[in-house]
Amino acid sequence: MIRGWLVAGVLVLVLSSIGFAKLGNIIFDDKIESLKKAGMPPAVFPHAKHEDIYKCEDCHPNIFKDKRGANDVTMHKNMNGEFCGAAECHNSPKAFPLYMCNKCHIK
Amino acid sequence: MRKAIKFLLYSLIFILIFSFMASGGIAAEPSKTGGKKAVKSKDKTKTAPKSETKPPKTGAQKKEDVSRESAAETPQKAFDPKDRRNLIYLDTKGDLAGTGDIKKSGIASKFAKIGAGWHPTALAETGLPVDKYGLINWAKIVKDKLIDPNWNLDPDAKPDDEEFFDVKILFETKSDFMDNVVFPHDIHTWWLKCEVCHPAIFLPAKGQNNMTMAGIAEGKWCGRCHGKIAFPLADCNRCHTQPKRAVKK
Repeated sequence: MIRGWLVAGVLVLVLSSIGFAKLGNIIFDDKIESLKKAGMPPAVFPHAKHEDIYKCEDCHPNIFKDKRGANDVTMHKNMNGEFCGAAECHNSPKAFPLYMCNKCHIK
Repeated sequence: MRKAIKFLLYSLIFILIFSFMASGGIAAEPSKTGGKKAVKSKDKTKTAPKSETKPPKTGAQKKEDVSRESAAETPQKAFDPKDRRNLIYLDTKGDLAGTGDIKKSGIASKFAKIGAGWHPTALAETGLPVDKYGLINWAKIVKDKLIDPNWNLDPDAKPDDEEFFDVKILFETKSDFMDNVVFPHDIHTWWLKCEVCHPAIFLPAKGQNNMTMAGIAEGKWCGRCHGKIAFPLADCNRCHTQPKRAVKK
């Protein structure tokens, strides 16, 4: 009987974690050497904040591949309309512009 | 046997409760179609060329201007600064005061005497070149000689040799991935005197200004003017022009 309860509890926990989990901050530190040269801390991407505003399909997989390390993000590419600087995102009046460095590159 | 049935029942109830909660909490089912539509429309905008030159200000204001102008006089898109008939005069409220030659146009000269002159909304209708933000591209206007003002109140005055300083300064970016900045002195000295920037904003020595983009965004160095009266800092590629690879060769 107790075993049954336990199994049911675990089931509930696992299922709920699939439904409600929000991703935390993603830190873009794959180009850490270049960032150190520029004296810039790596960019911190608040995934949860973006989840509140957008649906997964708005960004994945068209703008960002949903796999760790699969997106070669550079500021140069952002400036040219890829990734964070996509047409409807941080290259448009809808979001803060790319030159506000310290909003993403948080010390 | 009984235990197994009870367990199955309990787990079923739990799953039912959970699924109900999940569908209520996320509310994914009804809005999914809307989301897909939004994505589709996004794709459409993506297929359009990226260099869209849509001015952000185009609204009712501009429409009003157009209707106002068409009612007053047929618009002439080819802008010739020497031709006084192209000038549009507005009063301080933005209403049309007069057009054409100020010496011949009674209404315009009347308002010109009161003190009305050029108005920003009148500039929008002149067909002057604009950047991707719809702001007037003053640098291009100067380079293409669309405007050619006098150097001095004396109409025969000519610029001193010192007033032009055509030296380009290479600012190598510290990052490996960012294009270098080539600073053109000529366009800046066209508008400004040396003392405007040196030595208060920029030390006039190579490598002495430890500039950072974060500092510029806070209003230091280039940020003293760019983003305020000069073109905005968001226009990254207007300064970051020289690719890094070209330097390595």
